[in-house]
Amino acid sequence: MGLKAYLNDIVEAVVTTAKGMRITARYGVDPKEEVTLQYPEERWEIPKGYRGFLHNDIKTCTACNMCVKVCPIDCISLESVRGADKKMVLCSYDINIGRCMYCGLCVEVCPVNSLLHTSGYEMASVARGELILHFIAAEDAPGIKARVARQVAEAAVKAAAQAAAKAAEVPSSGTAEAAKVAEAAKAEAAKAPVVEPKAAMEEAPQAPVSEPTVAKEGEKKE
Amino acid sequence: MTIRTDALPTQEMTINMGPQHPSTHGVLRVILTTDGEVVTRAVPDMGYLHRGLEKIGERVTYAQYMPFTDRLDYLAAMNCNCAWAWTVEKLAKIEVPARAEYLRVIVCELNRISSHLIAFGSYTADMGAFTPFLYAIRERERVNDLFEMLCGNRLTYNYARVGGVSGDAPPGFLEKTKEFLDYFEPKLDEYNNLISYNKIFVHRLANVAVIPAEEAVAYGLTGPNLRGSGVPFDLRKDEPYSVYPKFDFKVCVGTGERGTLGDCFDRYMVRINEMRESVKIVRQAVAQIPDGPVRAKVPRLFKPPVGEAYFRSECPRGETGIYLISDGTVNPLRLKIRTGSFVTMNIFEKVTRGLMIADVVAVIGSFDIILPEIDR
Amino acid sequence: METLAISLVNAVPLLAGVPLWTVTLLLMVAVAAVILVFALTFEGVGSLVLRKVAGDIQARIGPNRVGPNGMLQFLADGVKLVLKEDIIPANADRLLFKLAPYFVFVGSFAAFVVVPFGVGLIAADLNIGIYYVMAVTSLVVIGVLLAGWASNNKWALLGGMRAAAQIVSYEIPVGMALIPAVLIAGSLSLQDIVRSQGGLLGIFGWNLFHNPFTFFSFFLYFTAAQAETNQTPFDLPEAESELVSGYNVEYSGIRFGLFFLAEFGDMFIVAALLTACFLGGWNVPFFHVGTLPWIWGNLLSLGVFLTKAFAMVLIMMWVRWTLPRLRVDQLMRMSWKYLVPLTFVNLLGVSLWLLVFRGKGIPGMIASLFG
Repeated sequence: MGLKAYLNDIVEAVVTTAKGMRITARYGVDPKEEVTLQYPEERWEIPKGYRGFLHNDIKTCTACNMCVKVCPIDCISLESVRGADKKMVLCSYDINIGRCMYCGLCVEVCPVNSLLHTSGYEMASVARGELILHFIAAEDAPGIKARVARQVAEAAVKAAAQAAAKAAEVPSSGTAEAAKVAEAAKAEAAKAPVVEPKAAMEEAPQAPVSEPTVAKEGEKKE
Repeated sequence: MTIRTDALPTQEMTINMGPQHPSTHGVLRVILTTDGEVVTRAVPDMGYLHRGLEKIGERVTYAQYMPFTDRLDYLAAMNCNCAWAWTVEKLAKIEVPARAEYLRVIVCELNRISSHLIAFGSYTADMGAFTPFLYAIRERERVNDLFEMLCGNRLTYNYARVGGVSGDAPPGFLEKTKEFLDYFEPKLDEYNNLISYNKIFVHRLANVAVIPAEEAVAYGLTGPNLRGSGVPFDLRKDEPYSVYPKFDFKVCVGTGERGTLGDCFDRYMVRINEMRESVKIVRQAVAQIPDGPVRAKVPRLFKPPVGEAYFRSECPRGETGIYLISDGTVNPLRLKIRTGSFVTMNIFEKVTRGLMIADVVAVIGSFDIILPEIDR
Repeated sequence: METLAISLVNAVPLLAGVPLWTVTLLLMVAVAAVILVFALTFEGVGSLVLRKVAGDIQARIGPNRVGPNGMLQFLADGVKLVLKEDIIPANADRLLFKLAPYFVFVGSFAAFVVVPFGVGLIAADLNIGIYYVMAVTSLVVIGVLLAGWASNNKWALLGGMRAAAQIVSYEIPVGMALIPAVLIAGSLSLQDIVRSQGGLLGIFGWNLFHNPFTFFSFFLYFTAAQAETNQTPFDLPEAESELVSGYNVEYSGIRFGLFFLAEFGDMFIVAALLTACFLGGWNVPFFHVGTLPWIWGNLLSLGVFLTKAFAMVLIMMWVRWTLPRLRVDQLMRMSWKYLVPLTFVNLLGVSLWLLVFRGKGIPGMIASLFG
């Protein structure tokens, strides 16, 4: 390599090094250039819409199961029973925050906006079980089920009584016919309360699934 | 095994540049066979990060697969989200509203900037200059702040949806984006002064792992690796998709300015220049974005017609192509993802023959591979 | 040391019965302990300052939790290292593995003996000062080679080989770049070199401004010394991102601590030599320190010396955080093809200058014009 190229090499090395050192010197000396946020004393301001931990407002939740179905990794699980007014009542609602990937699909799909993201992001724990959020305490579930079953039974009795009363109101031309009709109505009423609650309990997992989705699909397909 | 029998008999050494290594950009294992410092053979061993993403696709619905594409290339998650959305829309022939397409382009290009920042930062850190890495991270944090404002998350965005995007830009987002662009553009000149043209850095990269243009095409390289060898192929210009035809930007090509055409320095400079072009694109998009809806009506349990579709888009690490076969049900029948990093590893063994161990690190950095893309 | 022992025996009547050699020996041990304390403190604080400087340059704050502004971080690090488990790899050569850190540390610490801290503050004013420093710092090569070999790890071996090649190659430019200072002073003793830069010329009495060749050799020595101390851009032996810490990859606990401390010790030695040979050492400008009483003169000169040395260390850190790393063949090329010829040319230039101008430097000639 010729002398000129040799000296050029040296000069270029020195010049580029000096340029770089000038930039680092500026950063080294300028106190405004420190961008560190000293957590946990200083915290980042969480913007609206941040996808933090999930929170479900139990009172508004209709147990439609949309969030359960749309979650790609199955971290939401819920249990519900059909109540006296034909609406579903939540017995338990669990989200496994440790498995959750905060994709936001469940929040997007909730029809009543009861499931929302909070801005929380700190939940260090020492056991994985602690990361399962129970929105209804486990010990409350049997109580809720019992209450709902009782309400359903009461409603069924009331409905049967009403049906019997209506049957009794029918003007009786012939007592034998009327008595037969009344007895048939009573027999039906007597049968009904036995059948209904069991069917409701068995149908519970399926019936609520189809109802809302059918309605939804109908709406969407407009 | 002795190799040199002339003056000094030497023995080959097998070193494991193991899955845990600061410079392999992930869990890549390279089995190096070296004669002293010179590499005679470098075999990459991939698969440490295989998670069965393609198989998962057969089990979930089209909408549910979107968060999984975030994890395909987590540094360019927006690009992967949009690639999936475009593929499904191509299959089902869904019309996407204009505002959604503009938002998609804005986030894709911002994510290109942040992905190239990591490529630049980690490359210089591998070369020993630890400072530019932190400057790159600082810029990237600002991009993450923009994304946090937009979709609520800083890394795995899940922003695109089949038919549009998940939500409109909140008020102030476009202004903050412009602010970021004004702040960021002079930083590129600062990086060039600090490290890009530094004599030591140039010496480390110039004339290392030269890939001629024909070889690059033959091995299927795409993205900045292909353009670094002088081939001006960019999917955004040659097979335009979305609203890219509306923007005016250059295709950055390697010029051999500090060595041979197609060496590591060219690939590095292509990425620096691409950041500049992305800034241009985002500026135009922010200026031109129309009003309107951001999501087309797609049925909840979306069933595309039976058929197959292949859509390829320009991701920061190359071409990401998704081949999708649908059988009319809510779950895809089969999907196959072709990623730039995986195909780039093809040429790794050829290109590292005769290099020194330090150059192997330079080559990995210049290819800008990322393991989730390779292993899926 | 002997004279000091004699004066001590005369001053303290208690020691009258003790033979002189005992007193001398005890005195030597005491002085070595003082220097050890200084060296360890500097090395600890130096590691902290390195991290703070790194933080400032990298747009972040360095350590700031332990102690006010993070000033006690090095103590925390030291305690942590001491308490760590002592792991020796299974098939490692145990004796060599344990021996290597001591070679490295001794190679760095033994050079502290001839550092001229002040007017009368030098552990041993050897008349072969610079020669001694060059010889003793070469012990580091043995230590590094031992560490690389004994670790039973291919990465460590590569690091050790690179380190040996690098340190040996850069010995020549280091030595050659210091010779101009020796020629001007006419002696290898560091105190003589420092004294030759004193006098009424003040700052311009420094060897840095003596003639253009010594100015050049300052930068040559700085570059070669950066390589001797394994700092970026020459930190291949411990290239963190390639060799995963090179020759000390298998070391943990205080053994690793010794390597780490020795690196900062080397930095101080280099800075001390730079100060002594080129920047006037402990000379206060326009002032003759010897005129002050013993204690004030020593304190003042010590302060001046340490300020200059620390400034040099800071500049070394600044360069370290700016530049990327050279590849090993580029490093060798730089030493043999650039630094060695340049230092030879430099040496020739200084010799000719001293011959032609009869030992006078440019400031001296300008001063003599004014009488």
